[in-house]
Amino acid sequence: MLTRRGLLHRLLLVFGFEPVPRWNRTGRLADVAAQSVHADTRAPASPLARSEVDDLVAFGEILAAGAPVGPHARDLLAEHIAHQVARWPSEVLVPYRTTVRLLERLGGARFATLAPLERSALVTRFRLGSAATLPDEDLGPFPDDASLVRTRVVPDLIAGYYASPAGWAVVGYDVFPGRCGDLARYTGPGA
Amino acid sequence: MDADVGIVGAGAAGGVLALELARRGIRVVVLESGPRHDFGRRREYVRRYLHHEDPWQTTPRELDRQGVSGAVPYRLERKRARGIGGSTLHWEGYALRLHASDFRLRSQHGIADDWPISYDDLEADYGAAEQALGVAGVDDDTFASPRTAAYPLPPFPFSYTDGLFLPACAGLGVPVHHLPQARNSVPYGGRPRCSACATCHVCPTGAKASIDLTHIPQAERTGRVQVQPEATVLRLETDDAGRVSAALYAQRDRVERRLRARVFVLAAGAVENARLLLLSASRGFPTGLANRSGLVGKFFMSHASVEVTGRAREKVYPYRIGFSTAMSRRFAVERDRNRQGAFMLEFMNSAGPTPDRLALTSRLWGEALRAHVREEFGRWLGIRVYAEQLPERENAVTLSPRVRDYFERPAPHIHYSLGRYERDALDEAKTLAGKILAGAGCRDIRASSVSFAGHQIGTHRMGTDPRTSVVDVNLRTHDVRNLYLMGSGCFVTASASPPTLTIVALAIRTARQIAAAAGR
Repeated sequence: MLTRRGLLHRLLLVFGFEPVPRWNRTGRLADVAAQSVHADTRAPASPLARSEVDDLVAFGEILAAGAPVGPHARDLLAEHIAHQVARWPSEVLVPYRTTVRLLERLGGARFATLAPLERSALVTRFRLGSAATLPDEDLGPFPDDASLVRTRVVPDLIAGYYASPAGWAVVGYDVFPGRCGDLARYTGPGA
Repeated sequence: MDADVGIVGAGAAGGVLALELARRGIRVVVLESGPRHDFGRRREYVRRYLHHEDPWQTTPRELDRQGVSGAVPYRLERKRARGIGGSTLHWEGYALRLHASDFRLRSQHGIADDWPISYDDLEADYGAAEQALGVAGVDDDTFASPRTAAYPLPPFPFSYTDGLFLPACAGLGVPVHHLPQARNSVPYGGRPRCSACATCHVCPTGAKASIDLTHIPQAERTGRVQVQPEATVLRLETDDAGRVSAALYAQRDRVERRLRARVFVLAAGAVENARLLLLSASRGFPTGLANRSGLVGKFFMSHASVEVTGRAREKVYPYRIGFSTAMSRRFAVERDRNRQGAFMLEFMNSAGPTPDRLALTSRLWGEALRAHVREEFGRWLGIRVYAEQLPERENAVTLSPRVRDYFERPAPHIHYSLGRYERDALDEAKTLAGKILAGAGCRDIRASSVSFAGHQIGTHRMGTDPRTSVVDVNLRTHDVRNLYLMGSGCFVTASASPPTLTIVALAIRTARQIAAAAGR
């Protein structure tokens, strides 16, 4: 069965256009390889709703940086989520959706619609930033969901952010592993 | 006949041999268990690598099942790669010759055994191997054996971090030299100059030599080489004369097919070569093919490795390239190896945790996490040690009585441990590395636990005596006249140096022998 997206892709090809993959437009690893290396991936159609992704990204940026990050870094987080869903759907979909649901139940509104300070306050109040849980810890009104979010989704989003160009930018690396550049750079000091 | 020569495995040994034979007019079919990894997918592979996945992971995973036992479990996961190119798909690219003394441990040091060939026998083929792969280096290693040809490419300069090590090493009498690499310091062989992508395990540009780029395309262009990916050889069949008549293989559909050839070559790595011989037991070869010595699978070796790291006074800017540029081989050569084990020092350009590792281990979040990662990243210097392992008969690859692979064949079982020779060498190396790091101003110096390089060595050693070896000096089995075994499984001893350049040199040498035997 051809999806709408696939149909559009084919029509563009028929009329002589090669659509720029969304993967490239978002900038995620767009500069990973030398130009001689062909782009080979397309961001997969995600079973997550846009609103769910928005909530997860909003949660991820609070976890990783404590405040909203720029649009490029947000795109990187969204792309991380999309690829996790594409590669490990049976392992990540339930935890991701549980996260969205838990955040909404705790905050009384979708997480992405809360003001930044409210998001941070929510994470602080319910200790959602800590990946580890203690045996006797009070995990709040939804302990099973909170446990799943903290042990599975919190480390996933933090790792996704800090393994991306956004994470390398935090340590001052505009050129980072996966982005090719000037070979001689390694012989001197500086990021 | 389907081919003059049937080769099992398209890696450093099989791929090089295929091209060398084709150049001499010989028809070759190569059966490779893994896939043809599309170079156009490297960007996706890079992404997966950066997320600590293994892009080269075998599919179906059941092909890579194994059993382990012994004091130190040796697991093959991430230590080899299946596919056109074999383990050169993910290798570091370090291309060192063995030292002349590595071939003469028995006669010079009274331990282990001598190889039946010498460094001098292989010297010209080392030069040819360096030309074929495009090795960048300079002859500044005073502990290297003599060479007759210069490196084909100029060396990669020392790094910023190398410069931090140099004064400390000089003070301790540790000479430092450039690490020869099979990656392009300048454009070579139709491949670009390295552009410091820092993901060499999945080099996205082709600057690092790998057999899928340097040999297989040229071999196929001759029109005399056919490469069949995802074709796993299940066993070899023999005729009444005791010669291999066919290789029985299957693809994912598990339908058995036959490849018939005049000569067969196993080039599937030390573990799979031994396993395939043992799986090919028959009435004429009841203990396994070419195993009248009882030594198939025995003397398995690798390189024990430890990383010693220390916290530097200032940021040292790691992870800007994916390979090291400096080494010291003094302790691999200049010593009485009867009393002291050989080891090599690699001065790492990328040590310490990456930002995501720092973040995950901090247990912080938000602004505190961000500040922590920014402050802590890039403060570690590291030295990696590779220690020589001596051949011990007890370290062996056998057929697992319990574990079976995708094709319901017994999986390889590796029994493995380290002896006093290796452990003492690692202890000495750790102490020395600690002194170097302290001399470079580091504190909080610590050593990792022991791990192993992705080098599988031994299992079908070469020699002149059929009672004490499996293959002869031409890598032909003593027992089966039309069967050759290639790769580091033929090594008699392991040295402290990486094996790949020697594998390629031996493949070039053996190609001449096979061609000569065929009248070419």
